[in-house]
Amino acid sequence: MRAFLLGPVVRLVPVGLIFLALQRAVFAEYRLKGVALQVVLALVAAAGAGGGPERGALAGFVLGMMYDLGVGTPLGLTALAYGLAGLVAGYVILITPDPQWWFAMIFVALGAAVGEVAIAVTKLLIGEEGWVDASLFKVVPIVAAFAALLSPVLVPVGRWCMYVRRPKWKAIPE
Amino acid sequence: MFSSLSRRRVFVLLVLTCLLFITLDQRGNTVIDRTRRVFSAILGPFDTAAEAISEPLARAWYGISNYRDLERENAVLRDQIEQQKGAEVEARSAILEYQQLLALNRLTSVRNYNALPARVVGEAPSNFQNSVEITVGSNQGVAVGMPVTDGAGLVGKITKVYAESSLVLLITDPQYSVAAEVLNAEFPDDAGGASTIPTTPSGIPIPDLTSSTTTSTTIPSTLGTLPINPALPTSSTTSTTTTAPIVVVRETGALSGQGADKPLLLRFIDDNAALTSISVGATVGTAGGSNSLAPQGIPIGTITRIGRQSGSRAPIVEVTPNANLRRLNFVSVVLYVPNPEAIGR
Repeated sequence: MRAFLLGPVVRLVPVGLIFLALQRAVFAEYRLKGVALQVVLALVAAAGAGGGPERGALAGFVLGMMYDLGVGTPLGLTALAYGLAGLVAGYVILITPDPQWWFAMIFVALGAAVGEVAIAVTKLLIGEEGWVDASLFKVVPIVAAFAALLSPVLVPVGRWCMYVRRPKWKAIPE
Repeated sequence: MFSSLSRRRVFVLLVLTCLLFITLDQRGNTVIDRTRRVFSAILGPFDTAAEAISEPLARAWYGISNYRDLERENAVLRDQIEQQKGAEVEARSAILEYQQLLALNRLTSVRNYNALPARVVGEAPSNFQNSVEITVGSNQGVAVGMPVTDGAGLVGKITKVYAESSLVLLITDPQYSVAAEVLNAEFPDDAGGASTIPTTPSGIPIPDLTSSTTTSTTIPSTLGTLPINPALPTSSTTSTTTTAPIVVVRETGALSGQGADKPLLLRFIDDNAALTSISVGATVGTAGGSNSLAPQGIPIGTITRIGRQSGSRAPIVEVTPNANLRRLNFVSVVLYVPNPEAIGR
């Protein structure tokens, strides 16, 4: 249990710092149709798709806490949303232990979409109104599509962060 | 591994832990604030490195892809500068008169407070946050709640302060609300309303006075249909002065954001009075007061739409901010510390 929690954190924190810096310096500045692409969320969803729901939730929580500390959003808000994103994306592992790249891509997109919607909904629940509106129909598909596009690269990165090795299959001799 | 915990327990644990942190942070926790400051210091070098790598590439790309647009924009801006030159002279004299009147009446204005220039270094990385980061912080005397302006008008308020940087919540954010006043000129003999309101130079609040002078310009027929720039003095133009009373009406309310790229929403204290005395094009500025986030007299924007809400007498008044919040480069922090109740802590 302790190894499960501490092991990934050792790798997640430095990788998260790099991705967070990229988010703040690059993706916040250069937007697609006014939408800020979410590279940290994409990494969370990819870690979930590579490591399963529990590991995805852990990655989401750690990276979300880092996001909240670095960006100035209420501490725990992004952690909750990203935790859900990792949890949802991780369900691909329950369907198949070694998903094909396109199948993982679908779940990464799904996880990212859940994470982005969860931020707006959580904000609403803590009294920050005005974010659950029609603009979500523009923001969520763009963020999900971006995460899906990056998934072939980010899923291996997520697996490495979470100390997960891709299973190797052997033919059973007859 | 994680076998001792079911998936449902992981979910519950995640939600409860996050809710605990949210509650602690919302109530104001010094440990969390200190952790934020430490994390910000750790993240600083990573940010600098990411900017150093990405900026040259982005600039090169913009140079290639947007060169023609930039040239066109440059030409338009040069034209605008020429047109503004004359207006600036008028504005300067109006500021002087205004300052003299305030001094005579021993009143304070936004100019009584020092301002700290700052550079905008980054936008909010989230899609659900309207804020920017600026290059001044607690080391320069910045405190939470201070209003931030650019040359055109109010930009927002300081929400988080670090040693060398601060976060500014923009006026378009739904969380932002400030006491505002509408200054509208009423012409007793004119039914035209908004279209005939005299031009008010940006950044200058109108004192609550009754003016008695209007100026009309007679243009000689030799100029034909050429567009006249009122800002530029022409030797062939003659001026005649007539007198007609102009009453400046002041209406007070609360202005709040509705999200990025959306106009601000103004709610009045007295809806009935507001409906009869305000019109599209009227100037909106900060109202000041002991519980306001900003001192009186900072321009915010102009009214662009007045509508009615079905089933309610309250008008829907939309205000377009003067400041271009999508293109902020340099801003000023007004060193005015609002009442702690207004800040919300």
